[in-house]
Amino acid sequence: MSILPKKNELGFFEIRLESIGGLGANLAGKMLAEAGVLSLGLRGSNFSSYGSEKKGSPVKSFIRFCEPDVEIRDHSPIEQPHIVGVFHEALYRTVNVVSGLDAGGIVLVNTEREFDEVKKDLQLEYGTLAIVDALSIAVEEKTKVNTAMLGALYRICDFLDPESMRDVIRKTFTKKYPHLVEPNIRTFDRGYNEVKFKTYEVPVGAEGKAFTRSLPRLGYMTQEIGGVMVSQANSIFKDLSGSRQGFLPEFQQEKCIHCAACDNVCPDFCFVWEEGEDKRGRKQMFLKGIDYQYCKGCLKCVESCPTDALGDLRELLGYADENRVKQNFPYVAGGIQ
Amino acid sequence: MSILEEKLSTQGIAEQISTFESGNEMAATAAAQINYHIMGYFPITPSTEVAQFLDQMKTRGEHDIKLIPADGEHGSAGICYGAAATGARVINATSANGFLYMLEQMPVQSGTRFPMVMNLVTRAVSGPLDIRGDHSDLYYALNTGWVILTAKTPQAVYDMNIMALKIAEHSKVRLPVIVAYDGFFTSHQKRRVEYFKDRSVVQKFVGECPTDYNFVRDLRKPVTVGAHMSGDDFINNHFQQSEAMYNAGEVFKEVAEEYAKLSGREYPVLDLYKMEDADVALFLLNSAAESAKDVVDQLREKGVKAGVISPNIIRPFPAKEIREALKNVKSVLVGERADSYGAHGPNLTHEVKSALQDDKDNKTMVLSRVFGLGGKDFYADDAHAFFEMAIDAMEKGYAEKPFDYYGHIPGNPENVLKPVILPQSGEVFKTGLIDVKMDEETNKLKVKIPPLRALTGKPKRIASGHGACPGCGIFAGLELFFKGIEGDIVTLFQTGCAYVTTTGYPSTSHKQTMMHNLFQNGAATLSGTLEAFMELKRRGEIEVSDDATFVMITGDGGMDIGMGSAIGTALRGHKLIMLEYDNEGYMNTGSQMSYSTPIGHMTSTSGVGKEQRGKAFHHKDTAQIMASTNIPYVFTGSEAFPQDLVKKGAKAQWYAQNVGTVYGKLLITCPLNWKSDDRYGTKIVEAAVNSCFFPLYEVEQGVTTITYNPEEKNKRIALADWLVYMGKTKHLLKDENKHILADFEEEVEKRWLRLKAKHENPML
Repeated sequence: MSILPKKNELGFFEIRLESIGGLGANLAGKMLAEAGVLSLGLRGSNFSSYGSEKKGSPVKSFIRFCEPDVEIRDHSPIEQPHIVGVFHEALYRTVNVVSGLDAGGIVLVNTEREFDEVKKDLQLEYGTLAIVDALSIAVEEKTKVNTAMLGALYRICDFLDPESMRDVIRKTFTKKYPHLVEPNIRTFDRGYNEVKFKTYEVPVGAEGKAFTRSLPRLGYMTQEIGGVMVSQANSIFKDLSGSRQGFLPEFQQEKCIHCAACDNVCPDFCFVWEEGEDKRGRKQMFLKGIDYQYCKGCLKCVESCPTDALGDLRELLGYADENRVKQNFPYVAGGIQ
Repeated sequence: MSILEEKLSTQGIAEQISTFESGNEMAATAAAQINYHIMGYFPITPSTEVAQFLDQMKTRGEHDIKLIPADGEHGSAGICYGAAATGARVINATSANGFLYMLEQMPVQSGTRFPMVMNLVTRAVSGPLDIRGDHSDLYYALNTGWVILTAKTPQAVYDMNIMALKIAEHSKVRLPVIVAYDGFFTSHQKRRVEYFKDRSVVQKFVGECPTDYNFVRDLRKPVTVGAHMSGDDFINNHFQQSEAMYNAGEVFKEVAEEYAKLSGREYPVLDLYKMEDADVALFLLNSAAESAKDVVDQLREKGVKAGVISPNIIRPFPAKEIREALKNVKSVLVGERADSYGAHGPNLTHEVKSALQDDKDNKTMVLSRVFGLGGKDFYADDAHAFFEMAIDAMEKGYAEKPFDYYGHIPGNPENVLKPVILPQSGEVFKTGLIDVKMDEETNKLKVKIPPLRALTGKPKRIASGHGACPGCGIFAGLELFFKGIEGDIVTLFQTGCAYVTTTGYPSTSHKQTMMHNLFQNGAATLSGTLEAFMELKRRGEIEVSDDATFVMITGDGGMDIGMGSAIGTALRGHKLIMLEYDNEGYMNTGSQMSYSTPIGHMTSTSGVGKEQRGKAFHHKDTAQIMASTNIPYVFTGSEAFPQDLVKKGAKAQWYAQNVGTVYGKLLITCPLNWKSDDRYGTKIVEAAVNSCFFPLYEVEQGVTTITYNPEEKNKRIALADWLVYMGKTKHLLKDENKHILADFEEEVEKRWLRLKAKHENPML
């Protein structure tokens, strides 16, 4: 008798976790897969999207389960998952997180918002939406988001035994950090218990989310030979706001003394300056604001500021767009993507 | 790691444990169970983890392999060779250009017949640089005289690592052995794997380490290793080697058979999947062969007699077995993750064809496709496409295209890359606000810079949108330095975080001209670029603005593996700047220790545990090494002291343009791997300066000046007040590690006092 709720044509039940580097989706994927393989005797595989991604860059973790008699030979990334777990909402801006999701699939989202809002942003038409405020749980318990997400994922993958994960948590922390055992178990349990579901009816004959294998922008007819590039600084089109983990610097111009301390330490060149005249009519540089498109939320600038012009701000949806001061790059007319 | 024990009842099969691990983990597990004597290694993606896992196991006391972090792969191969010459058991792991960098050593080892085992975690060879898996590195191994086993799964990685040593040490072989497995696909994907519960089972299987060869071992039996030969002798040596290689094919079968009895897992020379009656077949190496098997099942359901052939050993090449397997196959497609440019098919295509040539009755058509380069994924529909090509040839009786690439696309002309900003050069970067003059009296430069506010009008050299981690210290450091430089720069970035995060094709964050080269060679490369510029200019072939400044940017890793190149460049005195951003480790590959990592600091190859307390030896003093080459200007700098750094940038430019080579080192924070809070990046390097771990100074024309003395400013802090900021050093503040901290403090104080003496005495 199969314990897996669904299988694709190769016999796999597939899960894809969407996150950014540093939130622990990788580890969550590993623990989920390990639990299925070692505790339930399923076969499974687990891997991540690899590149030179750094902390804060989008990452995916993949989990495949199948019956013990099925061989896992497929090495390719999961394109049509049964479950998607979204660890970081800001990813929607740059990543199609529900790409290829099964029509009757489940999306789990770490969010403090309501079902319908999330559904709209995901452009989800039908299927089941699961939401859990993993960040608040983690903040309250002083633990990590991924443990709360694991709890919710265990609830969704009801063939897994949550007690086995509690054992893993005990084993992981008891020896070195005994004081972390209880908060982590609480975090896991809260994720498990607090996740909420809403099913949007799946019409008969409904198809899953389409997936497209992305093609490279250039081909052998259009790449300059040797991979040489002439589009200097075209990284300015990238949106790095998804790297922020809940905080950004708030700028209050009236308190600014234009000392450039923030500009000196900013790794992402977010500070926008303009030439003007000081009170005595001399030419001077003035700080106009922050280009939040590039701000990864490290808050080094807040530390460097000798006044209160820069401060921490818990990021609310829309704040960055409203308060962004755009960098004034010398764009080439017609060269813009 | 949670593990499930499961007793196997079959007679003769040793007890095994199921675990859920990756190929790299299993290579490390096998090595730990064998308990090799020596591993000389140098980190390179995706093989690095093997050394990391071994380091973790070592901190827990699970083996006592001596792990030696080399100065580069060439050095690691040297360590391994030297160790193997004693008859010690030796292991290594590498990939891609790491393998090519040690390539010179490979035939030395096989030709002088010292066995060892190396895991080649296959990855695309540069350039352009690509960190993911293909077989272009493996194909360079084909002619090295090493036996090559190919492992398709994490399970096979474990099993073959155990078999490899036994084959290597066999009296009929005595050759080094490579175990090759696919980077990321096999090295990083976790699967259920069985391993022997008791390491003595493994040790018994590989047997006692042979000691009765002519080793550098027993000084009562002196030997000469590596005498040079002439052709008359050389050909005989190589004939022996050739014979030994073919013997390895037979020994492989014996060892695999014996291993099957112990493990229950079989490794025939060829892994044949539904080949008994196959009309069409794919010949694939490693992980792709696994993926293709699913497609064979699908095709068989539709009545197509399809099969897959994949060798478990490719040196020696199993020609006879392939001939037999393909006897009745009408059409085979050899898919290869590498090319032999211009050869009308990659290497294995020709080896398969050559195997068939010896069967005069054979009529199998051979198609050849280069696919999956640089880790391009191989999906089921790709295997379908391959089978369709083979079926098409079978039906037509000929192949439309015997050889081609697969998966390449022409691209849409509308998407070509175009300039997005106006070219940034020359006047744009001249503020006229920085004044540098030689003071004839002191023979030192005098620099005047404006308040830094005024320099915010000068564009940055690097653009926003790069992919560095939040709080990365590299870019603040580089830009402050560049602020001091007026006019154009030409940069060369050696491999490292600054390079990787600014140039992910088709995106670049560089405004001015930038080039990359591998990190053992950046300084030499930029020497060539600079001299060619000058020569072209001298001949009137180009106009170079007089103030172009050439800067080679490197991490501390690049100053380890590239030390020779940097010193050579300094000794030749090219008019360029070498700028090092030192984050105390090989952060781009996942925080392995570098020679600049201070003592006791935790990295992924200097773990903290029962048996080991972080890095074992003191940090390298690169600034002093470079100063001793007598170049005109050496400096250290930090973003925490911006005016100081901008001034040093200005001086560096003057010396590079007027006198000769400049070297500078910036200490920069890596919040990810220092395990520190992103926001404290500046404070941490400030504390490093104030603790005198990283003094700010310059050596101008041989004369040392401390440019900021924390003692004079009453800012000196204890080393512990710096270390407290970082997770990687927390353990050093514990009572049990007091002696390490004391040792560290003593070393820092010694270097600081010596520096002060130099500051006080221009003759030192």
